[in-house]
Amino acid sequence: MKSAASGKDPTPLDATASLIPRLRRRKKNGVAGYVFVSGYFVLLILFGVAPAAYAIALAFTATGGHFVGFSNFVKTAEDFRFLPAFENVAEYLLIWLGSLVVIVLGLALMLHGIARKVSAAFRFIFYLPGALAGAASVLVWLFMLDPTVSPWRLFLGIFGFKNLGQTILPGHLPLIFAIIAFWAGAGGWIVVTYGALNNIPNELIEAAQLDGAGAFQTALRIKLPLIKKWITFMLILAFAAGTQLFVEPQLVGEASLGLISPTWSPNELAYYFAFQDNNFNYAAAISVDLLVIGLLCAAVLVFRTKLFEVE
Amino acid sequence: MSSPLSSRERGRRTRPKVRSWWVAFLASTLVVATFGFASVASSAVAKKPTISVWVDSTRVPQVKAYEKAHPGVKIDMVIYNGNANGSGVLQSKIALDNRVGSGWPDIVFSEENNDAASLASSQFNYPAVLNKGLVSKKVLGGYAQGTLAGCTLNGKVYCLRNDLAMNVLFYNSALMTQFGYSVPTTWQQWQTIGEEVATQHPGYIVGSVGDNWDDDIYLWPSECHVDDVVKTDTIDINGADPNCTRATQLIDPLIKDGAVTTDSVFSSTFGTTFNNKILMMVGPAWYGQYLFPGIVTKGDLAVADPLSWGSGPTVTGEVGGGLWFMSSHVTGAAKTLSASILTWLSTSYGSQGISPGYPAYVADESSWIAGQQASGLYSNQIAPVFAKAATEVWSGWSPVPWSTDSVFGSTVVTGLNSGQTMTSQLSAFASQLADYAQSDGYTVVTKP
Repeated sequence: MKSAASGKDPTPLDATASLIPRLRRRKKNGVAGYVFVSGYFVLLILFGVAPAAYAIALAFTATGGHFVGFSNFVKTAEDFRFLPAFENVAEYLLIWLGSLVVIVLGLALMLHGIARKVSAAFRFIFYLPGALAGAASVLVWLFMLDPTVSPWRLFLGIFGFKNLGQTILPGHLPLIFAIIAFWAGAGGWIVVTYGALNNIPNELIEAAQLDGAGAFQTALRIKLPLIKKWITFMLILAFAAGTQLFVEPQLVGEASLGLISPTWSPNELAYYFAFQDNNFNYAAAISVDLLVIGLLCAAVLVFRTKLFEVE
Repeated sequence: MSSPLSSRERGRRTRPKVRSWWVAFLASTLVVATFGFASVASSAVAKKPTISVWVDSTRVPQVKAYEKAHPGVKIDMVIYNGNANGSGVLQSKIALDNRVGSGWPDIVFSEENNDAASLASSQFNYPAVLNKGLVSKKVLGGYAQGTLAGCTLNGKVYCLRNDLAMNVLFYNSALMTQFGYSVPTTWQQWQTIGEEVATQHPGYIVGSVGDNWDDDIYLWPSECHVDDVVKTDTIDINGADPNCTRATQLIDPLIKDGAVTTDSVFSSTFGTTFNNKILMMVGPAWYGQYLFPGIVTKGDLAVADPLSWGSGPTVTGEVGGGLWFMSSHVTGAAKTLSASILTWLSTSYGSQGISPGYPAYVADESSWIAGQQASGLYSNQIAPVFAKAATEVWSGWSPVPWSTDSVFGSTVVTGLNSGQTMTSQLSAFASQLADYAQSDGYTVVTKP
């Protein structure tokens, strides 16, 4: 590049001379990379790997610290709250992941394909609710869901909800939590997906259009396959976060003065075991259950979509 | 949910390495400084202990009153949710403190009447035994008969009662006169009036079943056997008990007619919806000061004896009441000081006089009543009603390590909200209670 700028044909000597600093630079970049990663790595070990290892150790031992095999897993799985909690979260995940994939991708593709002129404004608007921290966003929703104070009380009235207790009936909860999660989390994913779409070379899209592909065809046959890995990435993270649902049911339960079971989600059940029954081993067993489920799902998605393969 | 954006590096910074060193340096300096100061501070106050007191927001004035009366004593007050509605916050904090071996509150207030059973269990081992020298026999003897029963396990007293929360019948005396009803003495009469109100004065109510403590208001006084520890680790839970169904079958038609509302009494619009429209309501003594002011015109509220079932002695239930615990982990000078603070908060009139509940400590009762009467809220004398009702709380509803109210909320109250009847939800209520009991190691029996 340097020699091209000087307007001369590069001689072998020039080439070698320019190669050395480039190599040096590359080496330096490598170090910088490690420095960047190191902060995350240390935190990952301290707050990710070490607690997980501790949880695994707890899950296979009893209060005295002696090894008990899978006994904690069996006993927690036999508990009367175990299945309902997992059913609740499974139902929630179905709604949340389904809507995430369909609506987030739909909106991102629309912003990228059709509404490009206003897309920056829309991306900002979509992202805005995500700026509220988890607990704060649930509090906002508590007001929205309580027909006695909600700005949407007319809308809630159409469904016949007259008080908070009627809005948050057990059957409604998975949908409500999915809506909250979507409202708070989808904006971030729309921005990410939009970024991924921007990575697609323009030539490809132009070529498709020259071949007669309309906006819909381009989106479906060109753009979607090219951002497949981003979708996988989104699904893995959203699935892991979704199985760990805790703040929403906990806060809604407290706000309704206890109308929701305190063990609605598996994470809440683990919390209950740890802090109500003072049984950290049972709690650890459930957290390991969640870890295994998350890893399995990630593994399936990673291998199916060849996420880590470099083209 | 973690957003991937938050962790994305922007790449504008040119010298991340240098900066991160600075950040690390600054952070470590801060940490060292904080710990340094903390240790200096703690050694400075070692001679004068600071007593940590955890209370709910309602109890804050009582602690402030103590601080005002004892300016030399250092109190570190922490406000938490009072462990209300089966939230278990207190248990979670104690469990964590037990794990790290420090951090227990020296004194803690709990709204949950079951907490002695839970906190004193081998799982938590938190409260100090008060009747072995920490609190004098004279003070313990100053409580009304039976009021420390929930605090006493195997002869050891683990807590002091703040107030008595027995249920009485509240009614609007002006409305009763206006409508021409006489005050009921039995549940059956109460129901008859309710049916009449529904047709003759729609919009007025005779009760509410919208909160998770309503089992204490309707099932407990009916001697419903769903929470009766008959001997150590054996509990009688029977949702089909006729004593349970007689109460729910009485209430179900009233809910249908609208004479009993399913709104929570603490929902944001309860006060405006039922402003001067509560004809009657069975509820704990503290409803008087805590719920009715602003909803019932001053001077119209009256109290009557708990309703009976016509035969057998009249019994009632109670909602909360509040317990004061002291930590068993306090040592040295802090121990005597904590015990004296605990005693002051739970027995002195300086504390109990400003509590919304009817004091459990007999010596404070008459002054408290006089204060209530002087507030002008009531149209009749509350002293004889409260004093009598306090002795009528049915003993077949035992303190247990799980929250019966919480189970009632998530089964019966949610059932009502989805259009079911109370009676139809009793079996779900009882079976979930049995599940809780079994998972806590109890043997469940069903007595007809």
